[in-house]
Amino acid sequence: MPKNILGREIPEFIEGYGETQPFMGASARKPEGNRAGPKLRATFGDCTSKVIPDLKAAIAASGLKSGMTVSFHHHLRNGDYVVNAVIDACAEMGIRDLTLFPTALFGVHKKLIEHIKSGVIRRIMGSVNGPIGQMVSEGGMDVPVVLRSHGGRPRAVVSGDVKIDVAFIAAPTADAYGNICGSQGKSACGSLGYAFTDAMYADCVVAVTDNLVPFPAAPVSIPQYYVDIVAVMDSIGDPAGIVSGTTRITRDPLRLLISKYASRLIEASPYFKDGISFQTGAGGISLAVTAFMKEAMKKRGVRGSFGLGGITGYFVDLLKEGYVEKLMDVQSFDLEAVKSIAENPNHIEISADWYANPWNAGTAVNMLDVVILGATEMDRDFNVNVNTEADGALLHGIGGHQDTAAGAKLTIISQPLLRGRIPCVVDKVYSVTTPGEVVDALVTEYGVTINPRRQDLIDACKEAGNVPLVSMDELIARAHEMCGPADPVETEDRIIGVIEWRDGTVIDVVRQLKKK
Amino acid sequence: MKTAQAGTVESMDCLVTVSEAEPGTGLVLNLAGSSVARFSKAMEKAVRETLEGLGIRDLAVSVQDNGALDLVLKARLEAAVARLKEGGESA
Repeated sequence: MPKNILGREIPEFIEGYGETQPFMGASARKPEGNRAGPKLRATFGDCTSKVIPDLKAAIAASGLKSGMTVSFHHHLRNGDYVVNAVIDACAEMGIRDLTLFPTALFGVHKKLIEHIKSGVIRRIMGSVNGPIGQMVSEGGMDVPVVLRSHGGRPRAVVSGDVKIDVAFIAAPTADAYGNICGSQGKSACGSLGYAFTDAMYADCVVAVTDNLVPFPAAPVSIPQYYVDIVAVMDSIGDPAGIVSGTTRITRDPLRLLISKYASRLIEASPYFKDGISFQTGAGGISLAVTAFMKEAMKKRGVRGSFGLGGITGYFVDLLKEGYVEKLMDVQSFDLEAVKSIAENPNHIEISADWYANPWNAGTAVNMLDVVILGATEMDRDFNVNVNTEADGALLHGIGGHQDTAAGAKLTIISQPLLRGRIPCVVDKVYSVTTPGEVVDALVTEYGVTINPRRQDLIDACKEAGNVPLVSMDELIARAHEMCGPADPVETEDRIIGVIEWRDGTVIDVVRQLKKK
Repeated sequence: MKTAQAGTVESMDCLVTVSEAEPGTGLVLNLAGSSVARFSKAMEKAVRETLEGLGIRDLAVSVQDNGALDLVLKARLEAAVARLKEGGESA
């Protein structure tokens, strides 16, 4: 079987996916041709309202038919009512064989399992988690799931790899002519970053709102000229599931130690100077790294330029206190972030295309100095897996992992060496999400492990004198000694998941788990 | 039949339950929990080695694992066996 440059066996053709392009290197594939586009439509002065209050009537008016592709954004996270409501309505209307193209799915969407079993949903292009991921891993879908990063997804749309027939956009606020705002309304979610590409490239765009306001709504995230239909629901989501409360920094001493080491690595690096930019996400370790960095910035009088990605209240404080000049927000995680994006002009809403698409004239991740990321496992070659768990089940999406790792000058994976008996370093990862060529360092409680191709960082850490360095060989030997030899994951030949690199080449495939 | 237990189901621990078995039955092992998918062989080896060291041939052992390393598993098994020898509980 043909192998890609990481030695992963990738068939030339995958049933239900088509011909594959093997991964050739992080920035090896060059695009050709023009951007794809949606169907042209014309609207004149005789149309002054696009409101169709009933969801089923709106679906009928959208022209959605069996076999088509529907898209959704995930800014309502685990509070979302829209995906389930639309698919339930499709099922009742007799629409089948849909391709679901969400930016992500959450636990609240486990209800989709019945629609997968009954044939309403035939295919998912997007992350699968929890019960849906387990079902897919055990062979519960006929067509493989396609995993793309936050940048890879808009790339697939603008290049024409994926054609969206109808985009359903959960809209916390909308007017009758389709101007959409994410930061106002009872279901406010802040940034609508992931929905922009769908609005611009779908043949039909349906805004689904529970807060219809007089024309024109302001401020506007997605403007009226992209939106065909405005549907109304009583409630598009549960606020408790949409935004989290205040995200807390970890109090676990082990994780705090890891955070301290990561912060020292950043401080020792050449990027720790005025203008530093960073993305740390909302994880417990990441937030603690940010807290330690803030102390270091204060002590050394360093001022940052921007914070990127999913934004939390913690980043909002950094903006207010002048540690960063701007926030570039593709997803607002908590109430403080939602409030800030609505009020502060230095808190900028950016689309997924702007954030991370490798095939445009330049994305935000390219301007990033430092990113802190997680992993389920990492190998000798610094390849990272975030998609599959130790038992081989496909349970996590890619998120912005590939994009930020590829763009940032310093990509740090921070992770305790063990989760239970499962080590985070192995000889060879079960599946590759992000190649070692774009990963610079791993930080565990045993110290900082730097990719040998970054001798400059190794030298910088030695000079700083307070960063404990540990080699990958040493770390793997230690993990092996504590955990013992692992049994191999037993799989069938059938491919249930295709992991694309952000440029659309196949970096790895995931196979069906053998029945126990 | 007498049984005894040691351990917890906290993270990185395991709950080991041992029961007397008829002479000649050998080891009757039941493994469950988070590490089983990738470490069942290593876990079985740890159980066998521990029982061998204690000179026990016939025993029913049930492990409810939550990510215990071998040294924890061995210690919990040893403690459970000691409790069984002290009298255990009738099941």
